[in-house]
Amino acid sequence: MRTRGRLLDVLDKAETGPIVEEQEWDVEYIQKPIARLVKEYDVSWDKDLFVPSDDDLADRVFAAGLELARESGVYCTSTKRRMIWSQAELDEVIATSPSQVTLGEGEDATTIRARRPEENSKVTVCGGAYGIPVPEDQFVPIMLSYAQEPLLDFIDNASLVSTYGRPIRAASPWEAVGCWQEVDLSMEVVRRAGRPGMAIGCAENSPTEIGELSSTSYGGFRPSDWHHAALVSELKTNYEQLTKVVHFARTGSHIHTFANNIFGGYPGGADGMAVALVASLIMLQATYFGCTVNPGPTHAILSCDTYPDMIPGIAVALQGLNRNTNLMTTAFARTAGGPGTKTILYEAAALALAAVPSGIALMEGVQAAVGIETAHCTGLEARFLAQVTHAAEQLSREEANRIVQSLTQKYADDQKTKPVGKPFDQLYDVQKVKPLPEWQNLYVEVCQEFEQEYGLNL
Amino acid sequence: MSNWESKQTEFTESILAGNEQAAVALARTSLEEGATPVEFFENCISPSLQDIGKRFETLDIFLPEMVTAADTVEKVNEDVINPAVAESQAGESMSLGKVLLATVQGDLHDIGKNMVGLMLKVNGFEVVDLGTNVPPADIVARAEQEQVDIIGMSALLTTCLPYMKDVCDFLEGKNIRDKYPVIIGGAATHPEIAEEMGANTHGGSAAEGVEKCKMLLGKL
Amino acid sequence: MVNAPKVDPELVASVLDKTETGPVIDEKDWDRGYINQTIRDLVEKYDITWDKNFYGVLADDALADRVFAAGFELAERSGLYCVDTNRRMVWTADELNQVINNAPTVVTAGEGKDQVTFKKRAVEENSRVGVIGGPYGIPFPEDLFVPVVTSYANEPLLDIVDLPSLQTTYGYSIRAESPWDQLAVWQEAGLTFEALERAGRPGMPIGCANSAASHLGELTTTSYGGFRQLDWHHNSIMSELKVSYADLIRAVHYVHTGSVSHNFYNTIFGGYVGGGDGMAVPIVAGMILLRASLWGESVNPGPSHAHLSCNTFPAMIPSQTVALQALARNTNLITSGFLRPVSGPCVKELFYEIAALVIAQVPSGISFTKAVHTATGRFPMHCTPLEARFAAQVTHAAEGLTRSEADPIVRKLVDKYKDNLNTANAGKPFTEAYDLDSLSPTNEWQGMYEEVCQEFELDFGLML
Repeated sequence: MRTRGRLLDVLDKAETGPIVEEQEWDVEYIQKPIARLVKEYDVSWDKDLFVPSDDDLADRVFAAGLELARESGVYCTSTKRRMIWSQAELDEVIATSPSQVTLGEGEDATTIRARRPEENSKVTVCGGAYGIPVPEDQFVPIMLSYAQEPLLDFIDNASLVSTYGRPIRAASPWEAVGCWQEVDLSMEVVRRAGRPGMAIGCAENSPTEIGELSSTSYGGFRPSDWHHAALVSELKTNYEQLTKVVHFARTGSHIHTFANNIFGGYPGGADGMAVALVASLIMLQATYFGCTVNPGPTHAILSCDTYPDMIPGIAVALQGLNRNTNLMTTAFARTAGGPGTKTILYEAAALALAAVPSGIALMEGVQAAVGIETAHCTGLEARFLAQVTHAAEQLSREEANRIVQSLTQKYADDQKTKPVGKPFDQLYDVQKVKPLPEWQNLYVEVCQEFEQEYGLNL
Repeated sequence: MSNWESKQTEFTESILAGNEQAAVALARTSLEEGATPVEFFENCISPSLQDIGKRFETLDIFLPEMVTAADTVEKVNEDVINPAVAESQAGESMSLGKVLLATVQGDLHDIGKNMVGLMLKVNGFEVVDLGTNVPPADIVARAEQEQVDIIGMSALLTTCLPYMKDVCDFLEGKNIRDKYPVIIGGAATHPEIAEEMGANTHGGSAAEGVEKCKMLLGKL
Repeated sequence: MVNAPKVDPELVASVLDKTETGPVIDEKDWDRGYINQTIRDLVEKYDITWDKNFYGVLADDALADRVFAAGFELAERSGLYCVDTNRRMVWTADELNQVINNAPTVVTAGEGKDQVTFKKRAVEENSRVGVIGGPYGIPFPEDLFVPVVTSYANEPLLDIVDLPSLQTTYGYSIRAESPWDQLAVWQEAGLTFEALERAGRPGMPIGCANSAASHLGELTTTSYGGFRQLDWHHNSIMSELKVSYADLIRAVHYVHTGSVSHNFYNTIFGGYVGGGDGMAVPIVAGMILLRASLWGESVNPGPSHAHLSCNTFPAMIPSQTVALQALARNTNLITSGFLRPVSGPCVKELFYEIAALVIAQVPSGISFTKAVHTATGRFPMHCTPLEARFAAQVTHAAEGLTRSEADPIVRKLVDKYKDNLNTANAGKPFTEAYDLDSLSPTNEWQGMYEEVCQEFELDFGLML
């Protein structure tokens, strides 16, 4: 009942807020206020720092983000209106956000819990291809390479390059067909992995709301799966996203929400990005009332979120949120490097090591090679991500900072060359769904490196 | 020109049959005999089309015949009447007015709207048809661009009514509400709804729509 | 856990392919060439003709078979027009033959003791005809939704309840293709379940969804906690023989969720199809192509008069009978009759219009009657369950009639209303024709109903 009441309030805001042009929104409600808030709240840190551990700074970033949320709100592109929340409403959003959620069914269910910075407790891990396009015949082996990894608590699906040999045309019946094929294939994956109740991040073949709406239904994705809704950069929503949310809310489905702030875009650099990120996560919760919230900022040129300068921005924003709210925050490893390279492992590890001591509840990844190279993804990098995540659970921010600093040096130069690596079928035995020696050896080598150089037993 | 009656009967038969050649020839001959383009329009084209419109209202003829008649008249205008008007520099407009028609956002149904469009055409209006599923902002922008005299909107589905109201609101917001009389129609509409949303009037049928458009422009 | 889809996904894909590979043509050419001209040719080729002044039940099997052949040829020659891709979707004769031969002959809807089964019927077959009753999308205010649906569900002769549309949702306007659409249909689902509980028929199948303009409404509510797989899910194509992505998306959704789907197509009498003779041809083509493209279990031709919007106009009646006979004699399709009278509640002619059409359609082989789109559905709240009850009574009374027996009755009934059709008396709204506390007809309306029932007994020997 509460959800329906809040749903109405939110939809009402999209119809009644002040009308502004989109360009005005970008400049007057994003760019300028963020620049002002960065100064006003003194959002800055030492350039050599990767995982700041200054609680006061984290609180200032949180305060700045909250002010941005209150002063700007969210822009609805469908109605060209600003959706505005009062401070009291935002306080209620923060106070009533869930701090725990159980995904999946039966013995395969997993529980995610909100954490504080430096809290030595289990971080849940979701591994998957996260929308990386894969050929139809490789969907099952690729997704099985994740589902079979015991360290992955649940999975997120790949996208299909085609459906029954045809292109998936957005907003057409093919979208629904593609999503139903995704249902069939991913149910086969969890069944073959012996984890039929495992939660699935879905749907990844729904460029509009149509696929999501259709496939979250009888015989399709289940309410206990992990359904996606997003804010569009920066702090924008639309009828499509709100429609999905109505569907998830009314079908009682778990909602995972995310926002991709653009590093180098209207928010500016890492300092401005940190403010936008706090505001985005609060507004995700206010607009979509999901369970988990993810900031997956994007480098304006490289598209990754592991660019060294971005990491302290992400870390301090997560600390701000995890010190001041009960939100189940997550971090998402979107690496420039692809499978079959050491770069991807360093990048993923750096983000996990920065995010886990900053208090995230869930680690997500890896969206290898920024998610755009066909079939460039394997379960092995997700296993590695999970290992690093658990190893980082007991680290302080200061300890983590030293390692992250070292890791960024290992990948910073390579990252710019976009080492996309190799596709799944060149790194895995597709029949056995096992890494081939080349990839396995590289992985083992990096694990040993972590033990020797950082004292982390993976 | 004393034999308008027989000419009109012949013209009606020609356009109903889609006989472009005969219709064009009849118009050409009339002009050669001394009729002005306006006289031909008023004594031949207009009464023929009105007659056809009435016959469709009672389903003595069906939609395709009306479509054919309207198309044939367009050909006559194109080949004979418009060039003659341009040549005479008379500057007299034979159009009763320009009406923008659209089925509003969310609705793909266009049979009713198309019928209204045809009836308007056969009654001497110029029609700018934006098709179906047209967002409110586009309707207002095209009205401005085309400098129409009336905005006409259709909806079969009740959930498309808010988009009709948006058009009235947008016109109000842009301070151009008085410039564009608004008429609505379609199965989802009725006069009270028109009044509630701030439209000027409502057309309950294609024929009534034409009458209301004439009324809006003071042509009745 | 995973449903087997109702239709092989490869077959679905092959039909969707047609929207992308068929010949590109202009919509105007479709209307004139592929509809109007082709139908004219076929009417002539198959000698589809009857006395233009006749408005009863045709009983000429050879004519029915010629209408079928013409309709089949229209389906093959023209196919459907996809408005989103501007292409003709084309089927071969073999494909169409498979469609009509493989169509299901039985459909089951609803749950538990409220479950119903409709079966394909032959012309003049003396077997039970199902009845669906409801306001069929007629707009109602939120506070009257439960009372009106309950009042229909209370009628024991109605097998399935169809729904009104909500005028607002939680006091807000319902915007097509927006989240409001979604909210409205979820409210519709919740209110309907409440109404069925009140009527003591929780498993009664529901004709849905009616409050959303876009396909998104059906997508969202045919899901967990919403309308059930065994409800009666609507889908349709547009006039004339046009299909949109939205229709096909709904179809894919019903196929994969294993939901029962009812499909309809309203051809326009007086439009591009011409008059009664022409209209019979696209009705046949449309029913075949509905099954070919949307895979519903049942089909309905609900033709509309170009100006009056009704399907009780005298010249439309023989056309509907011969088209239904054509389908019943030559396909396995489960067909139905839709009642769209001009008159509204508290107008006696409403009963005559309903009865004329029902008595014409039942001996022509329909499997169920859809009752009633009162006052052509255009007036908010102008409908009551009493006319649906009456339609059900007449439906069952007509089950044993031959076409020849039905014909004079139909003609007499048409005589009773035909002169008043143009006045389109929409009558009174539900709130004035029914007592809202007892959910029963007012004395005025009940009296009129009883009078007509007696008239039927005396004039036609039909016990209602």
